[in-house]
Amino acid sequence: MRYVRGFFGFWYDFLVGDRWELFAGPIVALFVAWLVVRASVPAPITGALLFVFVSTIGGLSIAWASRR
Amino acid sequence: MSSITFVTIVSSFLASSVEFVEAVTIVLAVGVTRQWRSTLVGVLAALVVLALLVAVFGTAIVLFVPIGVVRLVVGGFLLIYGLQWLTKAVLRAGGVWAKHDETAIYESEIAALRAEPPVPATGMDWISFTVAAKGVLLEGLEVAFIVVTFGASAGMLGPAAAGAAAAGALVLGIALVVHRPLEAVPENGLKFAVGVMLTGFGTFWAGEGIGIDWPAGDAAIPALLAGYLLLALLGAYLVGTRFGTGRMRVSAGGRGL
Repeated sequence: MRYVRGFFGFWYDFLVGDRWELFAGPIVALFVAWLVVRASVPAPITGALLFVFVSTIGGLSIAWASRR
Repeated sequence: MSSITFVTIVSSFLASSVEFVEAVTIVLAVGVTRQWRSTLVGVLAALVVLALLVAVFGTAIVLFVPIGVVRLVVGGFLLIYGLQWLTKAVLRAGGVWAKHDETAIYESEIAALRAEPPVPATGMDWISFTVAAKGVLLEGLEVAFIVVTFGASAGMLGPAAAGAAAAGALVLGIALVVHRPLEAVPENGLKFAVGVMLTGFGTFWAGEGIGIDWPAGDAAIPALLAGYLLLALLGAYLVGTRFGTGRMRVSAGGRGL
C-alpha cells in the first residue's frame, strides 16, 4: 500500500505539484476547444481560441503565483 | 534533415541539458566526498534504467497507440509540462521566485554526505551508489518523459533520444573535466526556451488530436512558438516591473533555477 501511495504521490507531484491550475487548465481548454471543433467553427478560429485559452491559463497562474 | 527532426533534437537536447546539470551537481558531490567508482556505477545503473524506460514506453506508444490518440494524450501532457516550465521560468526571470543555486545545492549535498558513515576500505560504497543513482534517476525521469512525449508525438523517438544522449554526454563530460558544479550554464534561459517549445508543440499536437486542422499545417508551429515567446517575454517584463527588479533576467541563469 505504501508503494502504491508513493507511486501515485510521485506522479501527482510530477504532473500537478502545487499549481493545480496548470494541470486542470489545459485539460479544460482542450475540452472546450473540442466542443468548438464539434460545432464546425472554422479551424483558424479554433486554433486561435486554443492559443488564447492556454495563454490565459499561463497568465493567470503567473499572476496567482506572484501574489502568494 | 527535416525541420521537425531538427527541432525535435534541439528541444530534447536543451531540456535534457538542464536536467543533467542538476543531476551532475549531485554526482560530483558524491564522487568528491566519497568514492568515484561506486558513484559512477550508480550513474551507469540509473542511465540503463532510463534507457530501458524510454525504449519500452516509447516503442510501445509509437507501435500500439493510434497517432490521433497519441497526439491528444501525449500532446496534452507536453502542453501541461511545457506550461509549467514556461511559467516557472517567467516567475524566475521576473524575480518572484529564487533561481536554482547549483553551488549552494552542491555544498549542502557535501555537508549531508559527510554526516554519513565512512567509506568502506574495500568493495562498493553503497551510499555513493544509492545517492548517485537516485539523483540521476529522478532528474533523468523528466528527460525520459520529454523524450517519450516529444518523440512519440512527432514520431521521432530516435532523434529525441539522440538529443538527450548528446546532452548527457556533453554535460557529464564537462563536469568530469572541470570537477565542479556547472554554475555558468544559463539554466533559466534554457528553461525559458524549452518551455516555449514544449508549450508550442503541445498546443499543436493536442490541437490536432481534438480535430483542429491547423491553417497552413506544420507552418502553424512557428507562429505558435513566436506567440508564446512574445507573451512570455511580456509576462517576465511585467512581473519584473511589479516586483521592482525592473528588468528581465531570462539569460542570467548562471546560478540556475
